Amino acid sequence: MIDSINRLRFIAGNTFLEAVRQKFFNSLLLISIALLASSTFFQQFDFGTNELKFITDFGFGALFFFGSILSVTATTQLFFNEIENRTALTMLAKPIHKLEFLAGKFFGAHMLMLCFTAVITLVLAGMLYWRETELMARLGDAFIDGRLVNYSDIFVFGLLQWMKFGVLTAITLFIASFSNTNLYTIVVSFFVLIICQLQYIARDAYSTMEAGIGRWLVQFLGLIFPNFQLFNIGDQLVFNVKAPIPAVTILQIVGYGLIYTVVFVLLAHVNFRRREI
Amino acid sequence: MHEGSFIEHPLVIRLRRIVVVLLVLIFVGALLRPIESPAWQVVKSGQSELNLEGIEGSLGQGLVVGVLGGFRAIMADFMWIRVNTIWERRDRTKLDAMIRLSTTLDPRQSFFWFNGARMIAYDVPNWRIREEGGYSEVPDSRQDEINREQAEQAFIFLEKAREFHPDEPKLVVEVAQIYLNRLKDIPNAADWFLKTSKMPNAPYFAARIYAELLRRQGLDREAYDYLRELYSELPNDPYAQKNIILERIRTLESILEVQYLLRFNPGDVSPVIAPANSHPEHSHHGHNH
Amino acid sequence: MTTPAIRIQGLTKDFSVGMRGLKLRAVDGLNLEVGDNEILGLLGPNGSGKSTTIKIILGLLQASVGECQIYGKPSHTVDARRSVGFLPEAPYFYRYLSGRELIRFYARVCGVPRSQIKEQVDSVIELVGMTEATHRRVGTYSKGMLQRIGLAQALVHDPQLVILDEPTAGVDPLGSAAIAEIIRELKRRGKTILLSSHLLAQIEGLCDRVAILHRGKLVREGRVDDLVQDQHTESLVVEGLSPAGRAAVEQAITAEGGRLCRVEKPRLSLDALFLKEVQQQEAVRSDSTDTVEQGGKHD
Repeated sequence: MIDSINRLRFIAGNTFLEAVRQKFFNSLLLISIALLASSTFFQQFDFGTNELKFITDFGFGALFFFGSILSVTATTQLFFNEIENRTALTMLAKPIHKLEFLAGKFFGAHMLMLCFTAVITLVLAGMLYWRETELMARLGDAFIDGRLVNYSDIFVFGLLQWMKFGVLTAITLFIASFSNTNLYTIVVSFFVLIICQLQYIARDAYSTMEAGIGRWLVQFLGLIFPNFQLFNIGDQLVFNVKAPIPAVTILQIVGYGLIYTVVFVLLAHVNFRRREI
Repeated sequence: MHEGSFIEHPLVIRLRRIVVVLLVLIFVGALLRPIESPAWQVVKSGQSELNLEGIEGSLGQGLVVGVLGGFRAIMADFMWIRVNTIWERRDRTKLDAMIRLSTTLDPRQSFFWFNGARMIAYDVPNWRIREEGGYSEVPDSRQDEINREQAEQAFIFLEKAREFHPDEPKLVVEVAQIYLNRLKDIPNAADWFLKTSKMPNAPYFAARIYAELLRRQGLDREAYDYLRELYSELPNDPYAQKNIILERIRTLESILEVQYLLRFNPGDVSPVIAPANSHPEHSHHGHNH
Repeated sequence: MTTPAIRIQGLTKDFSVGMRGLKLRAVDGLNLEVGDNEILGLLGPNGSGKSTTIKIILGLLQASVGECQIYGKPSHTVDARRSVGFLPEAPYFYRYLSGRELIRFYARVCGVPRSQIKEQVDSVIELVGMTEATHRRVGTYSKGMLQRIGLAQALVHDPQLVILDEPTAGVDPLGSAAIAEIIRELKRRGKTILLSSHLLAQIEGLCDRVAILHRGKLVREGRVDDLVQDQHTESLVVEGLSPAGRAAVEQAITAEGGRLCRVEKPRLSLDALFLKEVQQQEAVRSDSTDTVEQGGKHD
């Protein structure tokens, strides 16, 4: 067991190292930071305290958008690099279980996402703190109750997004496990991402639909795809002092993400075991 | 090469695998329902805009991607910036469309709503009158017509806003302001100020203006009674400016020639210094007219 | 009798091709045994099933029919792979790691105990003659160097069985000779080696036994000498023979009931010629550098 965890650790560490040394990761990280920094441009519109909301939108948007791109493409890349360069051949000829290899790949990619999420949330929190301090000096009135931004919640949101990226990484790995090309994996993964992002519409629709095949089908769709909208609670977290999200809900969402992640990694393993390398 | 049996046919094998995966996912989905459902209720109740019905049709291709997630808020922000530049260029047809697009994309922002309403009710009529020759050329009746048309639009817009923000007094007081400032319709304005003043978190000035508008309609007695009641209900908050109210009560008492003994007695209300409450008088962001 | 390193019995592997359910038989009823401390060459043209067989031995593919054991353990188990080292054809490694990092990584993944990692890594790097290049990134290695670092990673956990897929493909004769020398050294250390190749000349002198595959079937198998030698003819290689002497020899052959089939000049293989020349040049160079260095030291 300990041997197994060690092997997993080495493979994950190596995968992470490979990912971090890729230009793609670095440039995506830079673009995201640049996007965030560009939100200082809102200063010139004199939106008052709403400027903070604009900056937060930008930060969360960058995290969601570039994070999704990174998690799909990096996972695909890391997986197919091993297959195409036949390093997987060398690895799997060692006394390693295929699940260890796959889980190692997953954790490597997941660590990459942790890095990305941490950097973006830190930069966002820094930007907000700086702008809020300046606005407080200028518009004292609006800050009678103290700071408007709930800083710890930015990181809670970061955590939830990271959990979501975990599910997305696992889904990508699952798709990669049966697909033959890079491009197919990326396209299908994004497609699934969009469905997961919108599945709540179906999920909510069937409660108002008439019984029948239509309702059955919609319910079926709602069950197959994880609900990614569940993780998008940034605005409720960061600015809503009146009705904060209860800790139980946060835990439920984290648990939801974790279970889906495990399920998709295991499904990927079932495919990968049969795969001819 | 040779043919395999039917069960070993690759298509059959593939189909079987897909079915197994789907069954596993459905099973997991059903298993997770008890965790997901309560969490989803909490998340959903906080996001009134989680319905896309309003967006259909009004979106271009490029926007669709933005609608699909965390980018929607950014899109709305950009639309709002576009609204500002269009407002500077005084392109009123585009302005109207863009205001609606911003609020549809991100209805959580009450900021978008009341600022949009102000543009529709105050700025657009100015432009229209100017287009038709200016204030000196356009007859008053036509000016009134334009003002009324624009105000109606703003009212509809604000009504929609209140669906998303039923407890936001800024969106109600905005209606009152438009009646008062643009339409010079004092009875209606008074109604709306009264409506505002009854809301939780209402700005203090709404009630004072209501009383003032009663006075302007010649309803001095009603104004006097209202102010007396208001004074005793108001908390001792410097923002409530009770001294002004007392001053007005006194003025009205002399106008109405209230007998000395029947005059309002504020009781032993000590002057308040500490800013105890959190209601700023009012805060306007963004646009100035 | 000792357990053979590899035992393959009735091995068949079918691949599905396309959507119509057609099957392609890559390996067809293969029976093969590789004894301990033996070098077996798996020969055959491209597409003859060599790589598929190797992949099944390594547990990377599952056999459709038949079984395959490594030192008595089913080959698809992780346990069986503990005693196997593998060098794939034209290997390609994590290019951002240095040679030493790469070997260390594989050593750790294979579960080499912490205390032995350094020693083990050093020893395989020395064995493959890469000591001087270990600090360079793998991305900068030439093909021959990649092949040698690949050998090092295959050997780092000290496996009893080493499987090499086309170890000399794309490598210059000098590199091939170096790899051949490493393989001989492995045999001296008691290892069993299975190597596949379609470059017959390069492994001819290396293998104890060869198995020839064609269209997935075993065509011939046996000791190299037994297979290659013509048992009915003999050749005499002579030097300084006069024409008269030659006539006398030919006469003698006829007199003894033999028949002279052909007379030819013995040829050196081009590989051998190349190696001989280069080695001579190297010897001259190292002699001269030695002298220079010694001279320097005296100063």
